[in-house]
Order: sequence, then structure tokens, then C-alpha cells
Amino acid sequence: MTIFTFVFKRFFRKKSNIVFLFVLPIGSVFIPTAAWPPIPLGFHYYSLLLLLLAARLGGITLEDRTNKTLLRLSASPISHFQYLFQNLLAYTVILTVVNLVFVFLGVIVHGENLPSPILLFIIYTVFSMTALGFSLAWYSLFRHMETAFSILGGVIVLMGMLGGVMWPVEAMPEYLQQAVMLLPTYWAAESTLIVAYGTQAKDLGTPLVVMILFCIAFLLLGSRRRLT
Amino acid sequence: MAIVHMKDIVKRYSSHIVLDNIDLDIAYGEILGLLGPNGAGKTTLIHALAGIHGFDSGAIEVFGKEQKANLLEIKRQIGLVTQEITLFTDLTAKENLAFFGGVYGLKGEKLKKRIDETLEFVGLSEHARKLPAKFSGGMKRRLNIACALVHRPKFLIMDEPTVGIDPQSRNHILETIRQLNQQGTTILYTTHYIEEIQNLASRVVIMDQGHIIANGTIDELVKKIQYEEKIKLEVAAPTDDLLERLRKLDGVKQVLKNEKEIHIISQVESGNLDRVLSIAREFGGIHSISAEKPTLEDVFLTLTGKRLRDGGEEE
Ligand SMILES: Nc1ncnc2c1ncn2[C@@H]1O[C@H](COP(=O)(O)OP(=O)(O)O)[C@@H](O)[C@H]1O
Ligand SMILES: [Mg+2]
Repeated sequence: MTIFTFVFKRFFRKKSNIVFLFVLPIGSVFIPTAAWPPIPLGFHYYSLLLLLLAARLGGITLEDRTNKTLLRLSASPISHFQYLFQNLLAYTVILTVVNLVFVFLGVIVHGENLPSPILLFIIYTVFSMTALGFSLAWYSLFRHMETAFSILGGVIVLMGMLGGVMWPVEAMPEYLQQAVMLLPTYWAAESTLIVAYGTQAKDLGTPLVVMILFCIAFLLLGSRRRLT
Repeated sequence: MAIVHMKDIVKRYSSHIVLDNIDLDIAYGEILGLLGPNGAGKTTLIHALAGIHGFDSGAIEVFGKEQKANLLEIKRQIGLVTQEITLFTDLTAKENLAFFGGVYGLKGEKLKKRIDETLEFVGLSEHARKLPAKFSGGMKRRLNIACALVHRPKFLIMDEPTVGIDPQSRNHILETIRQLNQQGTTILYTTHYIEEIQNLASRVVIMDQGHIIANGTIDELVKKIQYEEKIKLEVAAPTDDLLERLRKLDGVKQVLKNEKEIHIISQVESGNLDRVLSIAREFGGIHSISAEKPTLEDVFLTLTGKRLRDGGEEE
């Protein structure tokens, strides 16, 4: 678990990383409930925030590739999948702490108006893995940090718009409504809506499983890419 | 018995053949020098050998087992010093070693002990807690080597480990390599600096454009060209005219120009020294003239018709 351990060591060495992790989530706790959906807005948009945080966290793997420490790693008895997997696990732990703080503050600020905080926490944590998987796979496709990060920003916003985070999926043309199920954001939005509308908790099963499957698919995709 | 056995290795990048039917054996306990100009295919060969990437055809055996890309079992016993300095810049020297020791499965007290020993070995004990950014080029290189040594590989592959460092650090590194070898490590040492390998390697393989063009001990290789004579001539103005006249001399095999220096290689006992001198006199401005014994550099020159440093990046 060397890689897992060193992710923390390297991450916390830069204090700015910690600030970045908490500033946006804490800020968005305070966004009030709007016309749609019936949940404080920050808690609906949080999946996009997680994608953004994951984008920042996963970037270090691209750095490892450009400065060729990954090349050296590929000469060692560690597979690329192991490398990605341990990175994913470590960052999931970090995001879980962020999620916990976020939901906890939400309870304090919104009290009764925040439905099922525990379910929300579970959704966020599972989606954190999906977002990290996405980010790791994304960076494995690029050579330059600036390019990778700036395109990713646009992709995240687009996924938010199409995936039912910014507005209901039903507001979009029929043919799109099926297609957007291929976006991980759709399932994140779907789960928060289930919680927001107070639907039965067991309905969360499908979205949660799909999000985990997305995570695995992204990891496999990312590890197909050669290290050099 | 051979620690490495490579047979007919071919590697292409699209249509460009980078390794062209490479056959190479490395014996247990030797220091093999792999010499070749930039772009010869040394790094590609090493990466195939270390299982970092595959190859199009042929077979590689390491420790008697078939090497394929990403076979973890063989990797455990190999150490690779990469051509670039590949250190984590956000980790201290000690942490870098802990990381690379860790991925080879070392942990706890054993890892700690190995880290200390390795730092001591490369002379960085006093800098254990510093980030590599604070290091000189030579120190970075030494740490780069150390990261491949923590797990005590039986077979150490070094890809141009001394590029761009001061002579003192270089000597330190070469001494380190000798010690490792005496302790039983088999070493493949890649370079385009001939001087290093001449005093280090027990055997030399010369590569050019994806081919192995010579293979033997330094004595054997030099003997091959013993039948040649080299005259070094330095003049104020090495005109094409002058070069042309020299080329036309009897027994002259090659004439090469390197700024103001002209190298004339001719058959042994051609008696060309006198003739070269008289032609040079006609053109005037002679700075110096000398006849030399062949070196490894000359072996390379004779085999390929070019100087090893051509296009060599001197960082
Ligand atoms: N990933 C790659 N894609 C395409 N060509 C490559 C790649 N890596 C190396 N080459 C080419 O292969 C040749 C040999 O390169 P290399 O093995 O690095 O040589 P050396 O280490 O001897 O300098 C060079 O012409 C180089 O341009
Ligand atoms: Mg090279």
C-alpha cells in the first residue's frame, strides 16, 4: 500500500490543497433552496463540485507521467491498475472527509430542511469514487496539464447541464433523455432527487450500483493506457 | 550462464524500426557497456528488457524466464536507473527511497535499514531530509541511482546515469558501480561517453541505428582496428580542398573534420604521416599533427563513419 500512503504525504505537503478542498464545499452549504429541486441547491450541485475536486486531485497522476516517475514505477512490480486503484482509494478517503464536513455543516445550517443527511453522505461518497475514476481515466489520455484541466472544466459543466443537475432531464428533448443515462452525473442527480422528493431509500440501489460500475469502468479504461 | 538472453528482438514505432534483430547475452556478474549515439535505440532496448514495453518479435529471457511486458515477477529483481531524473520533487531524498523501496515490497525496519545504507552508499546521508530541488545536478543523479538500489536488485540497468554532471560526481558514481559489481550485481551500463566505459566495462556492445555493430571486450574491439592508423591534424583553415587532397592519398580510409581538427584514418604502415604533413604544409597554418593509438572512439568511428558525440546532447 505504498502508493496509497504516499498520496496523503504528498497531498498534505501543499497546504493550498487543503484550502482548495474545503472552500467551495463550505461556501455552497449556504446556497438556499430554489424553485427546483426541493433541497438546498448546494446539495444538488455538489456532484459537480465533486467532479471538480476530483479533477484537481487526479491531476497529480498526470504530473507523475510527465515527470516520468510513472515510467520508473512501470519498471517496478506494480501494475498501472494498482497504481490507479491505490490513488483512487486514497483520494476517496480524502473526499469522504470533505463530504462529512459538508453534510454536517448542512445539518447545522438547514436543519430539518435538509432531507436524509445520512443517505446524502452515502451518495456523495459513492459518487466521489466515480468522479475520481473519471478524473484518473481522463488524465491518462492527456500529455499536458493545462489542456487536460481546461477541457475537463468544460466537460464537467456540460455533464452537469445534460445530466439533470442544472435543470430536470424531463426539460430536454425525448431522444436526449435516454442518452444522458450514459453520464455519471445523471445518476448522481437522480439519487439526490430521490432523496429530495423523499422517495423510498431502496430506490437508491440502482443509481449507487451504476455509479460504482462507472468507477470500475473508468479505472479499467485508465489502466489500459501505457505508462510512458 | 546468462542472466539475459535476447534473441532477434524487433521493435517498431509505426514504420520506423528502432530495434532491428537484436541478439544479446549478458553473463552473470559482468559489467556490460552499451554504447551508442543518441537515437541508436539503447533506451528502447533497455525498456523492452525491463518489461516496460513489449516488442514486435523475438524473445527475451531474464533470469531464465521469459520476459513479457508487465511481468511483475522478473521486475522484482531488476533495478532501473532511468535516463531522465525521475524523482518525486515533493518528497525528500529519504521519502523517495521509502517510496521506491515500498513498491518493491520492503517495509518496516528492513526498509529503514536499507534506506540508510543506500543513502550512505551514494554519499547522501547528510541530505536525507532535503527535497531534491535543493540538490546539485550530481546529487540528483546519485539519488536517481539510489532509488534503483534500495531493493538490492541482482541485475542493475543504468541508462546514461551520468549525463550532465561534474567530473567529481561522475567519478563517485563510477566507483559506486564498481563496488556494486564486486558485491555481485550484474550491470548493464548505457552511455554515449566512451571514456567512462573504457575503464569500467568488462565487455562492450556498440549500437547504431537499431543494430548491434560490435560486441566484445575492449581489447578485442581495439584489436579489430589495429590495422589502422590515425593521424590527427589541426590547421587554421580546414578547406574542402585540403580534405579532398587527403582523401586521395593511398591507403587512406576515412577523413573526418571536426571544426579545426582533421582525423585521417589509413591502413597501418601506409607511411601517410609524412605525406599528410607535406600536403598540410602546402595549405599552411598547421597547429599540430600527431599519430595516435586507436581507442574505443576509433572503433566506433571506423564502424559507423561518424563520431559518437554527433548530435549527442550535452546537457
Ligand atoms: N515512443 C516512441 N515513439 C516513436 N518513436 C520513438 C519512441 N521512443 C523512441 N523512439 C525513436 O526510437 C529511436 C531510438 O530511441 P532511443 O531508444 O531513445 O535511443 P537512445 O536511447 O539510444 O538515444 C529514436 O529514433 C527515437 O526517436
Ligand atoms: Mg536513451
